[in-house]
Amino acid sequence: MQQAGTSGSEVEVTWEDQQNINKFGRLNNRLHELHDEIKIAKETCENLEDASNELILTDEEIVRFQIGEVFAHVPKEEVESRIENMQEVTAKNLEKLEEEKETVVSQMAELKKILYGKFKDSINLEED
Amino acid sequence: MAASGVTERRGIPAAAFVEDVQSYLNESALDVNSALAFLQERLQQYRVVEMKLLAQQRDLQAKIPDIEKCLDIVANLQAKKGSGEALIADFEVSEGIYSRARIEESDSVCLWLGANVMLEYSCEEATILLKRNLENAKASLEVLVADLQFLRDQVTITQVTIARVYNWDVHQRKLKPAASPKES
Repeated sequence: MQQAGTSGSEVEVTWEDQQNINKFGRLNNRLHELHDEIKIAKETCENLEDASNELILTDEEIVRFQIGEVFAHVPKEEVESRIENMQEVTAKNLEKLEEEKETVVSQMAELKKILYGKFKDSINLEED
Repeated sequence: MAASGVTERRGIPAAAFVEDVQSYLNESALDVNSALAFLQERLQQYRVVEMKLLAQQRDLQAKIPDIEKCLDIVANLQAKKGSGEALIADFEVSEGIYSRARIEESDSVCLWLGANVMLEYSCEEATILLKRNLENAKASLEVLVADLQFLRDQVTITQVTIARVYNWDVHQRKLKPAASPKES
């Protein structure tokens, strides 16, 4: 995990610097969470794709569709439209997550500039 | 000196920000080693609280999808009501073993409340109850996440303070030999 470590210098740390360091830490945590969430969303998208393809291939009229913990017998068209809805929701969610990730990454770059600018070698903001 | 204005949050003490190491050591009347020991101990305490909060967060994060699944089922049962058909579902009896159930139309469902208690509710009441539980769980999760952020900030402040006290000490030691004459 990235650590804001400082080493041997006389540059004083102001409250504003501390707040920037804190903010960087928070953003970094959020970035890791987003990586995981994006991974899960992508997997869900893939699963829905596979399910949708299986549906096209099957010639059964009634499909066992998972609702909660059970598999309900649902007619094929209804399953098709349900999966389409789920795909839409997941795609939108994925887009939102990617957007948030971009914002976080750019904010972190900004903070890096500011903090390295003031502390240069005394601070380490890299992933170890 | 405490520029943050918050001294604690829900039992978690805030880490005091040190404006200047020299005055911090003077005011607390601690020598460098004692100050470092105190700060390290604080850090440990924060870690312990962090573990606890993370465990609570995992619990809540598991609970929320469960409630959503229940809501989904109740909604599906309600949707089936007008149609006159029963809902046929395959469910797991044991690992790898499934059985088929035929669920006739019904106005009520039973909800497991915990502590070996299950209550029968009308579909509408069940939906209201489940939605309320879901909102509570989400609200609790939000508070928990904010607690964790606050805690991590205090950890960062403490880590930076430790580094600064240590560096200040190193700096002081470098200055000392210049002040006292040494025999060669």
